[in-house]
Amino acid sequence: MPLIAFENLEVRYPATPVPALKGLSLRLERGIVGLLGPNGSGKSTLLKALLGLLTPSRGSGTVLGVPLGGAEAARLRARIGYMPEYDALIEDASAYEQVAFWGELSGLAPEAARDRAHEVLYFVGLDEARYRPVSGYSTGMRQRVKLAQALVHSPELIFLDEPTNGLDPDGRRRMLDLVLRVHAELGTGVILASHLLGDVERVADQLVILDQGQIKAAGSMAGLRKALARRVELRFLDPLDAAQEAALAELGAVLEARNGLYDLELTEADPTATFRWAEAQGLTLIQLTPRHDRLDEVLLRALHPQPAGA
Amino acid sequence: MPIYAPTLPPAPDLSLGQPPALVLMRFDFARLWRQKIGRFFGFAFLFLLLWKVARIYIDFLLQTNQTFKPMQQWANAILTQGAAFQADLLNPASYLLWFLVALVGGGLVARDTLYRVRPLMYAHPVAPKDYLLAKLGFASALPFGILLPFALLPWAMSLVLAGAHGPVWVTAPLRLLPAMAISSLLMGSLAVGASSMAATPRAGIGWVLGLVLGAGTLASMIHGLTGLKAIDGLNPVMLAEAWPQLLVGVDKPLVAWVPALLGTAFHIGLWTWVAARRTRPSEAVI
Repeated sequence: MPLIAFENLEVRYPATPVPALKGLSLRLERGIVGLLGPNGSGKSTLLKALLGLLTPSRGSGTVLGVPLGGAEAARLRARIGYMPEYDALIEDASAYEQVAFWGELSGLAPEAARDRAHEVLYFVGLDEARYRPVSGYSTGMRQRVKLAQALVHSPELIFLDEPTNGLDPDGRRRMLDLVLRVHAELGTGVILASHLLGDVERVADQLVILDQGQIKAAGSMAGLRKALARRVELRFLDPLDAAQEAALAELGAVLEARNGLYDLELTEADPTATFRWAEAQGLTLIQLTPRHDRLDEVLLRALHPQPAGA
Repeated sequence: MPIYAPTLPPAPDLSLGQPPALVLMRFDFARLWRQKIGRFFGFAFLFLLLWKVARIYIDFLLQTNQTFKPMQQWANAILTQGAAFQADLLNPASYLLWFLVALVGGGLVARDTLYRVRPLMYAHPVAPKDYLLAKLGFASALPFGILLPFALLPWAMSLVLAGAHGPVWVTAPLRLLPAMAISSLLMGSLAVGASSMAATPRAGIGWVLGLVLGAGTLASMIHGLTGLKAIDGLNPVMLAEAWPQLLVGVDKPLVAWVPALLGTAFHIGLWTWVAARRTRPSEAVI
């Protein structure tokens, strides 16, 4: 059973002519999924739809095997944890009180929720501070309270919206370690929405890139890199004449040519084709450097694809 | 440096919990308990309650002790044993009660809006109707709970001291409790509706007071200009005072039956609808 699957999913807000999500089709397996996209790309709308807060206007989908927008949506939410991006904390309550409260709202009995609040706050490293009102907490502690409330009922799937927002490098590392622990030790599926690409790169094993309500790229991190990162730098022993430069288009799109160094996006994933092409052209290839794209380049190219030959 | 637990055991059974509306109400009560406004209102309402009880005890003394016989005529004037006396058991606290409802109820929804916790509630197995029910229930239970001793304590005391011939009718609770329920629901719905329109608890208090006083002023102005007494049915303060009078059968209630029914239905319906609209999941910003 896939973690999340949807087909031709369209979500519309009332009185809005353009749908917020335009016919998305996707299947995500259990793991840590990075959800990337600029502001207004539809990430939050997708999360709302997955939480059952918005009913799809078209298409269908399942979360943990439960149909979206169905009568089971409320019960589905007991199996999902959600850590919002903003400070959704009850400022006049202690971490312990509010985590127990969220546990009760998820269906735990009052006494069990209180016991569970202790356990989960200890798990996220808030053991000693749990009786203090959260208004006096640091940003890192507040983020951990939010994570604790998302975990209090042992969900099968958690949505983490920008979990490292406002954290210093050490705090970010700790939070991401916790995310990895949640998946590795508890077996919880994770959807991590973030604009901090380094975070996603570090923890996610699947990636979805959204823009303007459409999926621009989706798949495993390794597969995405392989599919999108076909850029190579080529240098030949002798300068190319105009006809040979034009023939480079047979290999792929020439993105840049500078001082005899050609930056290409290959049509084929196999870079050895360039050797065969050089031999056919009677050229000696002296440099072939794969560009090991970082995730930000993958994201930028998915969002702003360059036309061939640009 | 935080200390982390070696691992996290699975959560207990999720099917043993209480209904979400009850959990939300309990949390609001716990929140109110922590605040200090309860002390002021506690003293104020306790004083009023003691005054009510003292009047009945004085009446008992006057009736039973020959020394106080000369005062009997005066006592009869203040303790008529009629319908007005029964209805009056709930009335002196009216403005104070509205003020308490504004102070507490004004922040009920607005505080969740300010802290942005409502979307997080809806991300749990909480339906909008659970949320609305919890807020309405809490805002209505508060005045009901405060009025309850005003209806029951004098009645019990009267019954113990003078039996069926005491100043409080034996059947008074049967009339006063429904009146309290209607008045409390009116107060609660108005407070929740007003609070849902505010972005902060303070603004919520302002909204409640503004709506209560504004509707009252408007109704009084129209009444003054047109001479149409029925328009007083728009005044929530008068409505809350009128219901005990109507149900115990006072000769000249503040508002007649039909305007009271229409006005109460209008206020409860309107402000519940406003609160429902303003707390929909689609209004939640994730």
